Amino acid sequence: MIEAIGLTKRYGDKTVVDHMDFTVQPGKVTGFLGPNGAGKSTTMRMVVGLDRPSAGSVTVNGKPYAQHRAPLGEVGVLLDAKAVHGGRSAREHLLAQATTHGIGKRRVEEVMELTGLTPVARQRAGRFSLGMGQRLGIAAALLGDPQTLILDEPVNGLDPEGVLWVRTLLRGLATEGRTVFLSSHLMSEMALTADHLIVIGRGRIVADAPVADVVALAGKPAVRVRTPDVRRLAALLATRPGIELASTGTDVLDVTGTTAPEVAALAASAGIVLHELAPVQASLEDAYLQLTGDSVEYRSTAADATTRPVAGAHR
Amino acid sequence: MTTATPATSLPASRTRPRTVVQPVSFGRLVASEWVKIRSLRSTWWTALLAVAFFPLMGAMRASSVSGIADDAPDDWFVGPVYATSGLTLTQLVLSGLAVVVITAEYRTGQIRSTLAAAPTRVPVLLAKLVVVVGLVLATGLVGSLAGWASVAPWFEKLQMTVDLANPDHLRIMLGVPLYLAAMAALAYGIGAILRSSAAGIATVLGLVFVIEPAFAYIPWKPVQDLATLLPSAAGGRLITHDATGSVISGSQGTVLGPWEGYGVLVAWAVAAVVVGAVLLRRRDA
Repeated sequence: MIEAIGLTKRYGDKTVVDHMDFTVQPGKVTGFLGPNGAGKSTTMRMVVGLDRPSAGSVTVNGKPYAQHRAPLGEVGVLLDAKAVHGGRSAREHLLAQATTHGIGKRRVEEVMELTGLTPVARQRAGRFSLGMGQRLGIAAALLGDPQTLILDEPVNGLDPEGVLWVRTLLRGLATEGRTVFLSSHLMSEMALTADHLIVIGRGRIVADAPVADVVALAGKPAVRVRTPDVRRLAALLATRPGIELASTGTDVLDVTGTTAPEVAALAASAGIVLHELAPVQASLEDAYLQLTGDSVEYRSTAADATTRPVAGAHR
Repeated sequence: MTTATPATSLPASRTRPRTVVQPVSFGRLVASEWVKIRSLRSTWWTALLAVAFFPLMGAMRASSVSGIADDAPDDWFVGPVYATSGLTLTQLVLSGLAVVVITAEYRTGQIRSTLAAAPTRVPVLLAKLVVVVGLVLATGLVGSLAGWASVAPWFEKLQMTVDLANPDHLRIMLGVPLYLAAMAALAYGIGAILRSSAAGIATVLGLVFVIEPAFAYIPWKPVQDLATLLPSAAGGRLITHDATGSVISGSQGTVLGPWEGYGVLVAWAVAAVVVGAVLLRRRDA
């Protein structure tokens, strides 16, 4: 469990994290989502005591991180893949971390096995690809078998197989009742991994809700209808209360405020031929962009928000 | 590089005993820092180089004075002074190592892993200091013994010896590792304050090879007195034979006794580490 109260970080007159209150619950995967520069990493660094809050406080499993006598046994941290001296081998890096907590060599071998690092255990970490660096960071986070995991962009740089593996791993850890808190700027990844989302923009929380609720924020579900007889169908639908229509093509109608079966029944009763009838879910991306739209710090002015190819693209 | 296929099993705590995790202690931090320093190849290259300077410089100096051995008065040649001729170069290398041991943590990002495991911060700074000082002591001791061995072939010709029953000889032979360790501690403290390898090394070398000699050669007594209190000059008293002077500094001052001088150097080192510790507690990592 992670609890932040009024958590604030200022650098000079720039407020990077602005009075954040949130609780990360055990037993589920909580996604921490926001555009680059929104304050995700700074928040996570404050959680584990690397950065000192300008105001407010944050506790992990009931105590400030630094007050835990065996912090690695409480909290596993991956803040970035390159928190490793490049001249040291993967095994020795993990052994050094383990030694601080009297964790044995067997556990070191275990986490290397788990993260697929065993074949490269003796290789120097400086030669690792970003993906291998992520695996090493995850291995280090798992060393103390902690109740709480804090991972900053853990899938960044992983290949598709690695992404799938991290997803399975995190879901499994949450199922065991652990607290899993991970950040990402990739909404699509969060949609697949997280149960709960904390969305931030410009250092403030813009949403803190289950994934489904965040999607719902994007707007009411709609139905897309394709028919050669757009005019008649539109006239028919317009007689119903609460329905909004929008035309996105010469033979296409987007209908909000009703369901696909209702549209189908209405069309059938009037003898209108339908070529396509599909419910349109507002996507998590839409919700994300809507929530963070005015808080994106760096944006190319030419790109319209709806056409931004954010999802799935690696940095 | 081919990506290894990870095991698909989860770290299911039900199927195996929970990992034993013990509280962080100073002893465990020292053990961890030892793992860290010994697992870097650069540590061993540096130590090897540091040791090698003693026999190298010792043999060079002994052989070069052996030509004038007959013209020199008795007692002119002091064995330990020749045996420890490599000190200046060794100091350069080991001070550099002491700076980099801490600054590389910042350069590589390792510091975030280190402080995640030891969030109270100051203990890990001291644990690393213990390891660095231990390594430098051992290196210095091995080096001065190697230097002794290398000048031994000239003992007869130069009418000199290293006699550990002679308090001056013993002081210099043991003083070399002690001096190197204190200088390394000072360099480490400066590294902890500056957090940058380039700035740290430049500061340490600038202090020892530029600022101290500059002070020492200004022919005005107040400045010369002050120069004797600077780290290397003061600490160098421990390894100075009053008949032949120090190999380490331009300061010829004998204001301070050997152990007083060493005390002053240790005070400099403690001050640097204390400032480094205060800053480590205060600053974001």
